[in-house]
Amino acid sequence: MSLRVEQSLSQLLHEAFVSLRTLGKRSVLALLGIVIGSSSVVALINIGHNAAVDAAMIFKDMGTDTLIAQFPAKRSGNLSMRAHLDLDAVRSAVPGIAHIGALSLFSGPIVFHGRTANANLVGTTPAIHEAMRLELREGRFLSPFDANETYAVIGDQVAQALGAPGDPLRLGDRVRIHDYLFLIVGILHNQPRAMLMPVQANESLFIPAEGMRRIYANPQIGNVIIRAAPGQDMERIARQAAVALQRQLTDHSVDITVPQQMIDGMTRQSRTFAYLLLALGAISLVGGGVGVMNVMLMNVSQRRREIGIRMALGARQRDIRNLFLLEAVTLTAVGALCGAVLGITAAWLYAWLSGWVFSLAAAALPLGVGSTLLVGLFFGIYPAVSASRLQPVEALRDE
Amino acid sequence: MTEHFAQPPLIALQGIGKRYQLAGQALSILDDVCLSITRGDSCGILGASGSGKSTLLNILGLLDLPNSGQYQFAGHDIFSATPDELAAIRNQQIGFVFQSFNLLPRLSALDNVALPLSYRGVSRHESVAQALRMLDQVGLAERAHHHPADLSGGQRQRVAIARALVGNPSVILADEPTGNLDSNTAQDIMDLLLTLNREQQVTLIIVTHDAQIAERLQRKILVRNGVVSEAGGL
Repeated sequence: MSLRVEQSLSQLLHEAFVSLRTLGKRSVLALLGIVIGSSSVVALINIGHNAAVDAAMIFKDMGTDTLIAQFPAKRSGNLSMRAHLDLDAVRSAVPGIAHIGALSLFSGPIVFHGRTANANLVGTTPAIHEAMRLELREGRFLSPFDANETYAVIGDQVAQALGAPGDPLRLGDRVRIHDYLFLIVGILHNQPRAMLMPVQANESLFIPAEGMRRIYANPQIGNVIIRAAPGQDMERIARQAAVALQRQLTDHSVDITVPQQMIDGMTRQSRTFAYLLLALGAISLVGGGVGVMNVMLMNVSQRRREIGIRMALGARQRDIRNLFLLEAVTLTAVGALCGAVLGITAAWLYAWLSGWVFSLAAAALPLGVGSTLLVGLFFGIYPAVSASRLQPVEALRDE
Repeated sequence: MTEHFAQPPLIALQGIGKRYQLAGQALSILDDVCLSITRGDSCGILGASGSGKSTLLNILGLLDLPNSGQYQFAGHDIFSATPDELAAIRNQQIGFVFQSFNLLPRLSALDNVALPLSYRGVSRHESVAQALRMLDQVGLAERAHHHPADLSGGQRQRVAIARALVGNPSVILADEPTGNLDSNTAQDIMDLLLTLNREQQVTLIIVTHDAQIAERLQRKILVRNGVVSEAGGL
């Protein structure tokens, strides 16, 4: 006698779908738990991903190779900061600095052809061009030779605000600040917002630091911006630069922000949050799994006679086990698919409400659907095995 | 397979006993049953309710295992067979027909008939084709896609017989196959079973308490209080 042969795949699938169609309303409730669990896993992974993408965007334009130094006063009181720092001394003291520049901030009105716009007036050393990654649309940036000239480089938004249809602000035009006319030698590209920068280039007019005294009696250096050469240890440069800068200061201390530290902090925070949410999803999945087990146990006890008939017709224990296991997994798969659609919709909605750019996390679907199917398999095993252990004669006797 | 022993019996029972533990008491259902059935026989198993004839049928059909004795089915020793081997023998050698039809209500007539083939690894396409031929043979080809609930009792039993036959078994075990049918339909079903026995040499074993049905079979095996005897002797 030829013993045996597996059931063909087409047969198995056919049976699972017939059963599922007739499982009916009872399974809908079990599915609800599965759908909630699966959708929360998918949604949470995706929301976490989008939050990370958004956080990364904040730093992308500034880069992690940038350091920003501030100079808080040591004592309370109105101590004015110096108007000039010897940045070359810092550069030679600290190896690994690619660009270092200082900013003096002041704000005031700019007038052009009778139109007025408020802008940050930024007294700048030439290296700020590279240190802040400024990109020029037209003209050039300030050079060391411009120190005593009334030259200016204008940010995109300020240029737009001062121009008018038919009379745009062009290179070679002059703008008035208080009583001085400044010649526009460069117009910047629209720069994305850089969150940690003390000044937004779009809203600024850059003029030589030495010329600040023309429009403001007492200019002070507000920040020093350092860009490191590639592959440097940022912590070391921050430490050494702080020491080098401190040497030139008496009344002020040096406070340097390292963006990488902030990024790390944010990543840690969002990771903790993601784990929390993931645990929530896992708990609802287990709840859904218990629901599936419940439905399958009822299913098995209601179909004892069918199990007996199938055994009489030649089904082996493993055929019966596979039948119920496949039903449990098919049931879960339907829930997982509904959950995936629901989860992505929820993540999209969340991104939309938060004003983030929505992007699909690569891990969200495989992880969400995969973990749901595993839950279905795990909770389907017990009912399926208990069905396969029935004795044919006992199962047939049952009405 | 085992044809070369001058036609050994298809079914050979020696000293079969079956006991149940019921409320702490041993209850003997079958006692020292010896029986042999040859290929192509048609036998009736007769007895009152509770005489043990259904238990005997379950043992013959490998649905239940006896506690003692020896049982050879088509050369296989039943006591040493694994559950998987028993399932394979049921699938390939035995066709069951039940009093209450025992069709799966959720499957169409066609899928019910095709079911035993699916446990042999026959592809769905091929098993459906064979099931359709078998339904045609019992005269129900045009009802193939009806569900059991939409069929009459006689039609359901025909579907059940088609299901028993689709695997080309060597024996059909029928438990009161006409018990739930009116006398005309019962006559038709008996005619069908006897025709199969005559024309295809399928061994026929029918449990019944109806003397008229027993009259139409070659052998009559009486079960009384767990003891088996044969009317007319052999």
